[in-house]
Amino acid sequence: MLKAGCHRAALKSYTGFKSSPYTEGALFYGEKPEDERVREDIESQVEHLEAPKAVECAPGDT
Amino acid sequence: MVRLRKPGQEMEPLTETQKRTIREAIRGKYAQVAASGTGCCFQYQTGKAAMELQKYPPDLLQKIPADILNSFCGVGNPFSLGPVHPGDAVLDIGCGTGVDTLVAALLVGPAGRVVGVDLTQEMVATAEANLERLPLPQVSFQVAEAETLPFPDGDFDVVLSNGVFNLTLDKEKALREAYRVLKPGGRLLIADQVLIADLPQELAGKVESWFQ
Repeated sequence: MLKAGCHRAALKSYTGFKSSPYTEGALFYGEKPEDERVREDIESQVEHLEAPKAVECAPGDT
Repeated sequence: MVRLRKPGQEMEPLTETQKRTIREAIRGKYAQVAASGTGCCFQYQTGKAAMELQKYPPDLLQKIPADILNSFCGVGNPFSLGPVHPGDAVLDIGCGTGVDTLVAALLVGPAGRVVGVDLTQEMVATAEANLERLPLPQVSFQVAEAETLPFPDGDFDVVLSNGVFNLTLDKEKALREAYRVLKPGGRLLIADQVLIADLPQELAGKVESWFQ
């Protein structure tokens, strides 16, 4: 999203949806800046969120 | 699948043959889902119960027939990310049967405009059939790929998608397109799936791993 040009881009939260033990639903937010010059410092705009731990279950379990 | 990567870490690009195989498999899978009329074909919770679980506003869900809600196959609630205002123009990328598109239409009201696009003709036909049952003239659907959106620059206040970008073959191009069609100040609201652990070798190379 940052490479596309978004600012305030963030993985906001995980949704709890699991289609496998290896995946998790997630919510991403970004904005197109009113003025593209605001994107001078990309890293400072990134919010870091800890990923949930992979759960031990058989593929196909929900 | 969307993989969370460390800065600078790149994934191996897909070959043209792999892309063609995946694209055909996706079309086939979602044509099957459209024909079923329900979110029959996934390992996760779908339908109205899934929407309630993701805290979609109950007052909006009441305005959409239950059988339409039961075709919901999203992986989250993109509307929880930020407001959609009355009068907004909204694009729903990978709209499927149009459930999120209809929710957006209720939020923008008659002064707004909502367009749902999907890769699969069968899904768009189902979405249009659903739309005929509701008084929402601000909504339209069309077939389009996320990587080549048929809209001018700066056309929408909000671009949303639900469980779609993980299926796009060129995610960066698809995101650039979403960004392009946003108005300055517009919002991108995405619910999707990410890999939180490495896939076992026996699953990593299988097309079926793209949509469970």
